[in-house]
Amino acid sequence: MLDIQNLSKSFGALTATDNVSLTVKKGTIHALIGPNGAGKTTLISQISGYLTPDSGSITFDGQDLLALPAHKRPHAGLVRSFQITSVIPEFTVRDNVALVLQSLNNQVFRIFAKASADREERAKAEAILERTGLSDEADTRAQNLAHGQKRQLEIAMALAADPKLLLLDEPMAGMGVDESRSLTDLLNSLRDTTTMLLVEHDMDVVFSLADEISVLVYGKIIATDTPEAIRTNRDVQEAYLGTHELHNEEPA
Amino acid sequence: MLSEKHLPAFYALGALLLIILPWILTAADSSYLISTATRLVIFAIGAVSLDLLIGYTGLVSFGHAAFFGVGAYVVGILAFHNFEETTFLGFDGTLTGLIVLPLAILISALFALIIGALALRTKGVYFIMITLSFGQMLFFLFVSLEAYGGDDGMMMFEGRNILPAIDLNDRITFYYFCLAIFTAFFLFCHRLVRSKFGRVLAAIRQNEDRMTSIGIRPYSAKLLIFVIAGAGAGLAGALMANHTEFVSPGLTHWTKSGDLMIVVILGGIGTLIGPVMGAFVFLLLEEFLPIIFHELGMDLLKEHWRVVFGPILILIVLFAKTGLYGLIFKKEG
Repeated sequence: MLDIQNLSKSFGALTATDNVSLTVKKGTIHALIGPNGAGKTTLISQISGYLTPDSGSITFDGQDLLALPAHKRPHAGLVRSFQITSVIPEFTVRDNVALVLQSLNNQVFRIFAKASADREERAKAEAILERTGLSDEADTRAQNLAHGQKRQLEIAMALAADPKLLLLDEPMAGMGVDESRSLTDLLNSLRDTTTMLLVEHDMDVVFSLADEISVLVYGKIIATDTPEAIRTNRDVQEAYLGTHELHNEEPA
Repeated sequence: MLSEKHLPAFYALGALLLIILPWILTAADSSYLISTATRLVIFAIGAVSLDLLIGYTGLVSFGHAAFFGVGAYVVGILAFHNFEETTFLGFDGTLTGLIVLPLAILISALFALIIGALALRTKGVYFIMITLSFGQMLFFLFVSLEAYGGDDGMMMFEGRNILPAIDLNDRITFYYFCLAIFTAFFLFCHRLVRSKFGRVLAAIRQNEDRMTSIGIRPYSAKLLIFVIAGAGAGLAGALMANHTEFVSPGLTHWTKSGDLMIVVILGGIGTLIGPVMGAFVFLLLEEFLPIIFHELGMDLLKEHWRVVFGPILILIVLFAKTGLYGLIFKKEG
């Protein structure tokens, strides 16, 4: 589904992505973990087109992704969510989702179609809000949502684009325990239809969802393996997991 | 203070007032003010078109008078060649309104397309500066057109454009013609800002960076609204040329762009009726401040009425964040 080869990106003297190769197989949830500043978001941004890599290649669904402008990638089925919540603040929750549907239906330039009159779009948006647990907030302005709900909206917007591959940049960041659990369930229910690349700090979530895990440290992938193998990997423990209490936890 | 629920009634009242205005002015023996009313309606078209950019899309364009000037010059140049019986790039001049007015819209849209395509590659302060520069470039271009009067501009010696069954040279008919076009343009904008495209513009204003990730290229949407707004200003310019039967580079000067901007901010950005009210108050002050000071015998202030005009504008903007609109209407939600 997604094949990254020898990808590099530097900001001056800092090499944020250092010769990274990574393959996300279709139908899997692939987690990307690593300490703060390892370059996870930088990698996500290159896949989604917000940053241009210095060298290397990315193939998505058989096509050369780097030749595809960033705004066309969601139309090809590649959708990202943001670590720092980024919604349309003055829009209602429903309109945030409806905007995504409008874009994916290629209706951006409809000058005469009244936005509030599209019942089909409205129904679709509400179905997505139902799935993401935001139905009660459909008419709330996004800026008035609680933090956890904003995170849910972020996911709802990503799902509205009906992605083949979902790039999730710390979806649980700042969520409460219950919200985090229900989002984990939601992502789990999507695994049959959607391939995911998941960046996440919450190791419970990572180990309960991931089919494969890659570990990024200082811009380099130091290991890619099954969750069980990652848990016992010496390099990983030294570089990263040593600071966590993972070895005490049971895999899901 | 009214609530936004009263807007339809406010629209109706405003429309009624504009419709009966010529009668009132004639009855009050002030029919010379019909000319001011016509200017108001034309100015409002320009201001509403600019608000599509500033208020609805968050694009602070400081060169909007450029398109106003292009529209006016299309009318002026065609009238000039019609009078001289010469050609422009092989085309005959004409006063035929059904050709001239659409052409003015089209050519100002074309200028907006070219200028927008370049200017929209920048953002924020740079966008303000680059639109200002393009506006001044056009100003100096028109100044350099010696054949068309250069600095001094040119008169339309044969009068206004000619339309079937509508005599634009009649003062009152021309007022109603401009009012009809203003109404059509206003309704068009009203529809546009509530359309799906309008929703995209609002989203761009609030969070442009997010657009790419949901598959929208902000540049394309911004360019389209820039062209639409430029065409609107061009239409206003074409009407203004007809109104004054005179075009000059002054129409495109940056202070005219500033005037339009002041009108939009004064009236209330992001509201279509706001800029119309802004145009109303702006022209009212411009028309009557000198007269008032003259009556009061304050000749120095009569000469320098802008000294008073400025602070009045500042006070309104200071005390009402959304301008006159905010003074009159309480926002819902």
